[in-house]
Amino acid sequence: MTSIGTGYDLSNSVFSPDGRNFQVEYASKAVENGGTSIGLRVKDGVILAVEKLVTSKLLVPQSNRRIESVDRHAGIVFSGLIPDGRHFVSRARQEASSWRGTYESPISVSTLADRMGGYAQAYTLYSSVRPFGITAIIGGVDENGPQLYMIEPSGSYWGYHGAATGKGRQAAKSEIEKLDLKELTLREAIKHAAKIIAVAHEDSKDKEFELEMTWVGLEETGGKHVPVPKELVEEAEKWAKKEIEGDDDEEDEKMEE
Amino acid sequence: MFRNSYDNDSVTFSPQGRIFQVEYALEAIKQGSAAVGLVSKTHAVLVALKRNAEELGSYQKKIIGIDSHFGIALAGLAPDARVLSNFMRQQAMSSRLLYNRPIAIKRVVDSIAEKAQVNTQHYGRRPYGVGLLVAGVDKAGPHLWEFQPSGMVLEYKGAAIGARSQSARTYLERNFEEFENVDKDELIKHGLQALRDSLAQDKELTSANTSIAVVGVGEDFVLYDGDSVQVWLDKLGETRSSRRRAEEEPATTEATTTETTTETTTEGAAGSSTEGQTGPGGPAGPLDPAGENMDTTE
Amino acid sequence: MVSGHLSVDGVHVDMEHLKKGEVNLGTSIMAINYDGGVILGADSRTTTGAYIANRVTDKLTQVHDTIWCCRSGSAADTQAVADIVNYHLKYLSINTGEPPTTRQAAALFRELTYSNKDQLSAGIIVAGYDPRNGGQVYSIPLGGSLHKQEYAIGGSGSTYIYGYCDANWKPKMTEQEGIEFVKSALAQAIKWDGSSGGVIRLVVLKKEGHERHIFFPDEGYAAREQD
Repeated sequence: MTSIGTGYDLSNSVFSPDGRNFQVEYASKAVENGGTSIGLRVKDGVILAVEKLVTSKLLVPQSNRRIESVDRHAGIVFSGLIPDGRHFVSRARQEASSWRGTYESPISVSTLADRMGGYAQAYTLYSSVRPFGITAIIGGVDENGPQLYMIEPSGSYWGYHGAATGKGRQAAKSEIEKLDLKELTLREAIKHAAKIIAVAHEDSKDKEFELEMTWVGLEETGGKHVPVPKELVEEAEKWAKKEIEGDDDEEDEKMEE
Repeated sequence: MFRNSYDNDSVTFSPQGRIFQVEYALEAIKQGSAAVGLVSKTHAVLVALKRNAEELGSYQKKIIGIDSHFGIALAGLAPDARVLSNFMRQQAMSSRLLYNRPIAIKRVVDSIAEKAQVNTQHYGRRPYGVGLLVAGVDKAGPHLWEFQPSGMVLEYKGAAIGARSQSARTYLERNFEEFENVDKDELIKHGLQALRDSLAQDKELTSANTSIAVVGVGEDFVLYDGDSVQVWLDKLGETRSSRRRAEEEPATTEATTTETTTETTTEGAAGSSTEGQTGPGGPAGPLDPAGENMDTTE
Repeated sequence: MVSGHLSVDGVHVDMEHLKKGEVNLGTSIMAINYDGGVILGADSRTTTGAYIANRVTDKLTQVHDTIWCCRSGSAADTQAVADIVNYHLKYLSINTGEPPTTRQAAALFRELTYSNKDQLSAGIIVAGYDPRNGGQVYSIPLGGSLHKQEYAIGGSGSTYIYGYCDANWKPKMTEQEGIEFVKSALAQAIKWDGSSGGVIRLVVLKKEGHERHIFFPDEGYAAREQD
């Protein structure tokens, strides 16, 4: 990497001669090491899912949740440094709650993304702090329907129909691109989400993982961001497994030809 | 002076996206002596190995009660642990005052996690140099959490931190499926067995160097130190690590050690009960040969 | 001492509490829902003690495109509060790229009047139209509480028309019926309340935007052919 040894990559808030902020780029590297997170925005709501790598069999299964609610109607999932993500989520909660305090109405997801983008950006401005080592996906429903945003360590953010970040994001993205998200319902999409996470995990197959999934639906959950019920997650995982094995068979057949 | 140019502070990412200062803080935990935690359906247990800085010095505290329903064991910088435990006490008190109920273990753990994270993102601060095991009981039952200087917290069925804790972890990994349904005595025994495996070659568990704490559903957090530990060591029987036993008594099968090594047990018991309590004139157990007991770490 | 300077009858502003010579909107104001939005109405008298400082005051103040308020109490206080709310709503709509809701405007009015209740003398009715919720009316009386209502009346003159409004109010009036209702109610309030008077001003808020009306006492507040 050309950045190393130049000295321009040793401090945050410093531009290199070609106009890059290396510390922000390095923060993105921390994201790439984390388990894959995805968000799907479909017809009637949003799904968030994460590949939770199980680092020890002594961990309590289903505990240590990674997707958190920031308000009744919105949730955040992230990849990268987990403590950074927790702090980010807690700031998002403050934003949502202070909005309610002022306007006595829920914060819109776009405004929340804007505020959090601004917060992340502030951590690229000073040499006294470091950028967030996470990319966060914010999903929720508001007056404009289902909304999905993804915020990067630089503070930039965009709206998405389908978003993926973390180690397996490339595989996840190409899986998402196969879907007709505008036509899918939440019920259908949880299966696909399970499959996408499973596919994204293929490269690190030697490690165990747990699938964690939440959703927020206009009708399905009454506008509330909640975990997908356990039975539905299990059903989706089963479907995903069968689906992936089916795909493999097809490939085998082709190879035989 | 530095190992590389990216490890001077906690606000610099390495090109690989690592924060070395935080990783080094994790190393500080390993400088401290071992602590083990484990949970059953009804109880949460902490056991820890104490060290004394010098022969005539007292043993450093390893387990601290926070509220009547939970406490911590620490490994690493003790002063940092004191800051965190004071903070946890405040959180616990304010929960009782504001909501008239004991604070949920996850809440208190998350509160120190958030505190620790901030120290890894701002210049001029340093990460905490201590790892904690937080064991307690709340409305949802017994819990065991591990806290790290990075601000990472994870809930475990069994966990070990500190010097040579890998051996204890190996024991936990081999036996954790049993923990769920055992009673209090048996759970403590499992804890001591795990801790015993993390002992240095020339050491054994004594009432002077071992701390035990238990909390259960409907049972307050109780800390056993000094003489009161002896009862549990007696129940344990063998106080040396299984590795050392294997070396010293290659013929003895592991399965029967607790019954067959009465001789060693009484010897150990007699030795420690006379040297007994913490404080000046402490036990004459062999000192840490590795020089692990730097005075601020424990 | 009653906070917010409410006098014993719970409606009148305690005149002793206004500074000597302070301009007071001893007032009749109201706002109603009708089937296409909301109608706000007010008299136009502003007094300083017994002196009528302004006989054609505009007590209907715009705080956003289709969110307005009726002001009663101290003219200075309510103007200042409306200005601050106006600022916040402008900022909010620029930031979110969406028009603010009437509820949000009411929340801001409430926050300002409640948290400064000991300093202020302000009784405000907020009424507005937003695309999602249609027309809405909120009343924020002296203490800083917030009430969503089908229609709201306020100011010293309102005491005289509680019965009239209760008897003649009906939901889902047409625009013309609504205007008639507000106008006739305010005409009664002006007739009986010494500190209300002058012209009757109305603002109609609907999907298309806002529309003003004015009715004169020397014409018996009758509708005139529009010029």
